[in-house]
Amino acid sequence: MNATIIIGLGNPILTDDGVGVLVARELARRLAHRPDITVTEASVGGLRLMELMAGYDRAILIDAILDDQPPGTLTRLTLADLNARAAPQHTASAHDVNLPTALAAGRRMGLQLPDDIIIFAISVVNVLDFGDHPTDAVSKAIPAAVQAVLDSVFSPYAASLSLPLNTEN
Amino acid sequence: MTTKRITIDPITRLEGHGKIEIFLDDQGNVANAYFQIPELRGFEAFCVGRPAEEMPRITNRICGVCPEAHHMAATKALDALYHVEPSSAVKKLREMFYMAFYVTDHTTHFYALGGPDFIVGPDAPKAERNILGVIHKVGLEIGRQVIETRMRNHHIIQMLGGRGIHPVAGLPGGWAKAISEEERGEIEAAARKNVDFALFSLQAFDDIVLGNPEFVDMILSDAYTHRTYYMGTVDANDQVNFYDGVIRVVGPDGQELVRYPAKDYANHIAERVVPWTYLKFPYLRAVGWKGFEDGPDSGVYCATPLARLNVSEGMPTPRAQEAYEKFYETLGSKKITDRRYAPVHHRLATHWARLIELLFAAERMLELSQDPEITEPNTRAEVHTTPDEGVGSVEAPRGTLIHHYKTDPNGILTHVNLIVGTTNNYAPIAMSVKKAAQSLIRQGVIITEGLLNRVEMAFRLYDPCMSCATHSLPGQMPLEVVVRDARGDVVARFSQHLN
Repeated sequence: MNATIIIGLGNPILTDDGVGVLVARELARRLAHRPDITVTEASVGGLRLMELMAGYDRAILIDAILDDQPPGTLTRLTLADLNARAAPQHTASAHDVNLPTALAAGRRMGLQLPDDIIIFAISVVNVLDFGDHPTDAVSKAIPAAVQAVLDSVFSPYAASLSLPLNTEN
Repeated sequence: MTTKRITIDPITRLEGHGKIEIFLDDQGNVANAYFQIPELRGFEAFCVGRPAEEMPRITNRICGVCPEAHHMAATKALDALYHVEPSSAVKKLREMFYMAFYVTDHTTHFYALGGPDFIVGPDAPKAERNILGVIHKVGLEIGRQVIETRMRNHHIIQMLGGRGIHPVAGLPGGWAKAISEEERGEIEAAARKNVDFALFSLQAFDDIVLGNPEFVDMILSDAYTHRTYYMGTVDANDQVNFYDGVIRVVGPDGQELVRYPAKDYANHIAERVVPWTYLKFPYLRAVGWKGFEDGPDSGVYCATPLARLNVSEGMPTPRAQEAYEKFYETLGSKKITDRRYAPVHHRLATHWARLIELLFAAERMLELSQDPEITEPNTRAEVHTTPDEGVGSVEAPRGTLIHHYKTDPNGILTHVNLIVGTTNNYAPIAMSVKKAAQSLIRQGVIITEGLLNRVEMAFRLYDPCMSCATHSLPGQMPLEVVVRDARGDVVARFSQHLN
């Protein structure tokens, strides 16, 4: 079976910035029984993010995005989309390089990196105040984001699985 | 006076959202230049009311770039807060962990951030001035070594820190992770590779930068030179140490101004507020604030790899010491004591100093991995005292990092203050940006992307981590450069998303 890594990106103590991490923590709980799926959290970008994905066939990133959409809006992006629009909050750390460049560099150096990379971006408003909890609209988006990631994880071969996808619905 | 404005917004390849604004006068010369970054709010309020022992885990969330530095400063602040002196074995374990972090951090800066300007060239298209461009220019093998070095040391950091990205091992007076003989051997092997890699990197700097007269001229040019005070932590022999020691400050002539333990920082550092930014500019109390000025009468100081070399009587490890001597001899600095040279003021030489520190970190990691105490199994301390107040400091890659906590008798935080590495350098950065802009942008000169990149180079050499300085996190880095004429109309625009 293909190995998948799910990475929640963001700072869990910076109000809305941590929403990706909160989604990942819920996913970790739901996917704990799946040895082929790794769920982790990180507040890194660029090279470090690329290195985290090494060895996996598929990567799913969940991140906060500051854009013009209403807070809580969930957008599914591909890597190609990153080039065409504002990047989510953490895939482009200017401290090293942005994710597409890091991936290109990693591949050139022979690392096994996933071809299948999906980014779930959740529109946010407040990433400047320290705080444990996202703002209301962003918090409310968490269950739908969790479900969207699960759908995405299982959609290619959902028929062969009997997993508790809807335990909370 | 009418001015026109150039905005570099934000600065590429740096943490957080930064912006450089350059104001031109009627003649097209630079009237002034500022850098601005957004300020995050409410860190102290967030921390107050929490148990102090959470701080190593909270503060390592401040920043995705150097969580290890915050973790270590916080852990040392807890040592002081709970009045518990770590054992020698604990100090060595912590320092070894910290050296692995330094190797990754300095490596990343040189090859992914600061180095591309030299390796690929300052005027190369922005899309090529990155690690891919480095690989293209000097070969796949270098890129492979960079990635291997990072991964090798991330593995050690995870082993010693308990977690890969946000370490959890720091305890008051202790370190939660002891190592086995097998792990020690693995660390020693990694450290040997680190030493080789650091030597290789210094050789690359020699070949690519020092071997190119244009770059040597740029490094030595007045545009990138400032004569300020310097700050860094020194060990008992007054040599460079990243983990522990006393803070030493020397003047532009190299004479010691003051030395103090971290706990006395507030007696020596004051902060200046200016109208154009929320940032506060630290300066030396003993000298006083005279504005953004060079020289012995201005309290502006710099805390960087260059600063750490300038305050030290050399490096404690043999190969780094050789590199240190070569650095000062090559840049024409005279000895002012038996062991120490007059400060080098050429700010672009910071890139070279950073590689010398990389070599020191690698050698020190190797020494520690071979220390008989390093596998001591008892790495926890008993804490019996009532906490009250504690200050912890380390040399973060970007400057002296201070954590200061006060608690009630139950260890609940009542006050938190941090001076993060980059903050020390706010005034020098502001001065460097302005001077580079004034030197490079003159009446009649066509403002190109390459020219503005040379202004950014004055900023980038500090490796400023704006996310850390503002307690923020890495964000997206679109670059927008707007050039306005005296009426405020846009006459040129460079816009690019970093992708």
